[in-house]
Amino acid sequence: MTHTTKTQISWLKVGAMAALLAAPLAVATPAVAQQYPSADETLDWTIAFGPGGGNDIMARTIIEILTKYDMYPGDISPENRAGGSGAVGWGYLFAQSGDSYGISTTSGSFVTTPLQADTPWQPEDFTPVALLATDDLVLVVNGSSEIQDIEEFIAAAQASPMNIGGTGTVNVDFIVPTLFAQKAGFEFDYVSFNSMADQTTALLSDALDAMVGNPGEILGLIESGELRPLVFSGQNTPAALEGVPTMGDIGFDIGVSMPRGLILAPDAPAEAQDWWIETMKKVVETPEWAEYIATNTLTPTVIYGEDFRTFLGNTKNGFEVVLREVGAID
Amino acid sequence: MRLAFMFVVLAGAIFYSYVAFVDLSFLSRTGRLGPGFFPRLVGVFAVAMTIWVIVDLLRDQRPEEDDASSWVDVVKLMVLALAYAVLLRLFGGFIATVIYLAMTLTVMNRGKYLQNVILSLTFPAGVYLLFDKLLNANMPPALFSFLN
Amino acid sequence: MDIFSDLMMGLSLAITPINLLYLLAGAMLGMIVGVIPGFGPSAGLAILLPVTFGMDPVGAIMMLAAIYYGAMYGGTITSILLNTPGESATVASTFDGFPLAKNGRAGPALVMQAVASFVGGTAGVIMITLMAPMFAQVSRSFGPPEYFLLAVMGMLTLIVMIGQQWKLGIISAMIGFALGTVGVDLETGQGRYTFGSAELIGGIYFIPIAIGLFGLGELFYAFHQGTHKTGTGGIVEYDKEERFWPTKHDFMSTRMTMARNSVLGFIVGVIPGAGATIASLMAYSTERSLSKHPERFGKGEMAGLVAPETANNAASSGAMIPLLTLGIPGSASTAVLLAAFLMWGLRPGPLFMEQNPELAWGLIASMYLGNMVLLIISIFAIPLFVQMIKVPYRILGPCVIVICTLGTFSVHASFIETYLMFAAGIVGFFMRLYGFSPAALVLALVLGPLAEEALRQTLTISRGSFSIFIERQASLWIIGVTLLLVVGLPLLNRFGKSAGDAENVGS
Repeated sequence: MTHTTKTQISWLKVGAMAALLAAPLAVATPAVAQQYPSADETLDWTIAFGPGGGNDIMARTIIEILTKYDMYPGDISPENRAGGSGAVGWGYLFAQSGDSYGISTTSGSFVTTPLQADTPWQPEDFTPVALLATDDLVLVVNGSSEIQDIEEFIAAAQASPMNIGGTGTVNVDFIVPTLFAQKAGFEFDYVSFNSMADQTTALLSDALDAMVGNPGEILGLIESGELRPLVFSGQNTPAALEGVPTMGDIGFDIGVSMPRGLILAPDAPAEAQDWWIETMKKVVETPEWAEYIATNTLTPTVIYGEDFRTFLGNTKNGFEVVLREVGAID
Repeated sequence: MRLAFMFVVLAGAIFYSYVAFVDLSFLSRTGRLGPGFFPRLVGVFAVAMTIWVIVDLLRDQRPEEDDASSWVDVVKLMVLALAYAVLLRLFGGFIATVIYLAMTLTVMNRGKYLQNVILSLTFPAGVYLLFDKLLNANMPPALFSFLN
Repeated sequence: MDIFSDLMMGLSLAITPINLLYLLAGAMLGMIVGVIPGFGPSAGLAILLPVTFGMDPVGAIMMLAAIYYGAMYGGTITSILLNTPGESATVASTFDGFPLAKNGRAGPALVMQAVASFVGGTAGVIMITLMAPMFAQVSRSFGPPEYFLLAVMGMLTLIVMIGQQWKLGIISAMIGFALGTVGVDLETGQGRYTFGSAELIGGIYFIPIAIGLFGLGELFYAFHQGTHKTGTGGIVEYDKEERFWPTKHDFMSTRMTMARNSVLGFIVGVIPGAGATIASLMAYSTERSLSKHPERFGKGEMAGLVAPETANNAASSGAMIPLLTLGIPGSASTAVLLAAFLMWGLRPGPLFMEQNPELAWGLIASMYLGNMVLLIISIFAIPLFVQMIKVPYRILGPCVIVICTLGTFSVHASFIETYLMFAAGIVGFFMRLYGFSPAALVLALVLGPLAEEALRQTLTISRGSFSIFIERQASLWIIGVTLLLVVGLPLLNRFGKSAGDAENVGS
């Protein structure tokens, strides 16, 4: 496996050199085929999950914006290539290496699936366009709990270890409280659930002391006072959670979140990458995008190009360190 | 045949238990029940029960009352079903279903050519309309559409 | 009285020509989807959700509710006629439904199934209307300890299923438990039996296994028995017109069954996550231990079909309680509804019914109407389905294989799952031939992961102590009810009739 990849890379290097040498020639003769994107090419948009999921909604929102503002000249064909927690869809994009018309959106599994299974690709392999938003978590306790704010929570957790629930282990739900506890200096038992619904029920039944979760699904319970939000893991608190401090505000910034971004096939031509970066800069300014961020309670965190590749690498390494520590992966 | 099937089950159960004991730990790092707890329990129980049944079978050697004729059609049907699985991957939902039904009906519903031809065209067409047009559900795509 | 005016408001919203049309369309679509093996209510809702995009929320929610109910009604049809449950909540309906059809009572079984669904569904909506806030309290008292106990209660049904060849039955259950452990371990995140495959990270899905074991397995078995050689008709007998309608005796003997299981199903449905599957299993085993003729169960006893059918429809109404009062989806189907709510910019939670009375009461009203519409559709549709079993089996068989295959594929668009179904079909045939219990395997596959995960969560929470099971009020209740069902009922029964009948249950 590694052997073939290496061969491919060296071939691509040769190709890149050739392109470099040919560049002056290309300038000399008017560039005919250089124009990206060409209106004759159909954009092959891979959605690595089924219809209706978070990844699908994000992809379709972006496509809608591109179409509405006529940002993309050709046809866009979105395809749900679900399976293997994203391995199928991103594997398909991986195989389009070098192509400039293969594109996909990322979500949490983009980082976690390669950690759990032998995928031929790694997140850093793809051509990064932009990180557009992050999924961040809120720490909540039962509304009837005596704990009123995060300071009281940390004090109580230092006095006696707490149970904190979350969805899954190879997930940001586990990483966030683990890193937070390390920084704030308390211990806890992590209880892993299959879904947000299961963990919320457990918290309401007083089986858990606290839980972390995406605020979008529990806003109703927070609003009615059934759940009390204590701290938010993102860079800035969404409007719906006004008054709740971020982990950074109280001095325990952890800097880990789930990346929602846009990628092209590995080794896509630079002009394709540049074109998409410029286009996404316009997309994130639209009111439709702002509405998407608000309804899904995402944190708008925008990073472009190679910085996004670095971000992906850092996130993956952060995950790997924590997960290896607890023995989830080897 | 019955004994052979039991040995297949036994082999599976032993493999399952082997992985449970070698790869999965009984307790987790924090001292709680670990990933290996339940598989080990299940594996050991399955192996024990299977051996028990095999011993019973060996002790009480009754000749099987099966006659070969009853196996002919079911084996044909299974082979055709497996062929269908391969066809689906190659040609996609609609064409594979036409070919599969044509083959199977030729074998099972012998001699009624007209009926078989009509059915192996109309039934896939109806299913296609139902899945693809009415419900907008996924039909298996053909392999060549992945290649272009 | 407030409730009454709210309900009237809901009804007045629901009864507009266009909304009634959506309701009717939804009910029919739901039923069609439900009949296809592989598509239960949740998969059906998920694929039909886009149909409602662009509709106004009240119309859309009515259509979705109708699809939900339609799929519940339709799902049992294949359980009865083809021994193929479309989803886990109708597995229990095959236990007596298919034997009934085999005995030539397909018509009465289908009609009684529709009636039982109607009674369970309607009783459920009435309970939502009158007592939603009270049941919301039940929804919020369940945590991991209670789920573990519930899963154990569901497993009691396994003992019933294992039957005569108990060693083979236990092996079947062990295979199911083993398949259930495949995937990433929830607690540690470690892969179990995944061998590095990304396809197996999420575990082995129930649908392909159930369709393979029951549907294909039964079909191969019928061909082995030579059913296809017997001219017309197939595994299921049906020829006489007058046997289409249930007899008076069918109704009279099952009216208490319907009453009991409406309540039981609803209460279990209210518990988020337990849902229709456990409700139907508990209903089946309770009904069997209450029955004067437990020996007839599994051989085509009407009460054995009516009980799980009433319970799973009552449970699907019950599942609306956590959704409407807490914003927590209690089942895969209500999770799709929740996604729809979020898409419309609504904020489900305890204030939902106050803030959106039109939508909440429109939904409740549409559930009353939906059940009525579906009962009527069923009565008209059943003769059509009965026609299907008149097709010679040598032709019907291959067509059933096609539908099972495409149905399995389209749920997740997965070839791996399709191959898994074929493999399960061949294994299921041998299991059937040699006296194993495919039902025990499938139940173990559903309940095993639930029990294992809940037990490990419980022991993490309690730091290894088992006393948590008697410290929590809800746990004590479940233990009490279980003891009553397992010890109390059989004892009571024994006083009621000669001790002889009860003896031959387990031996």
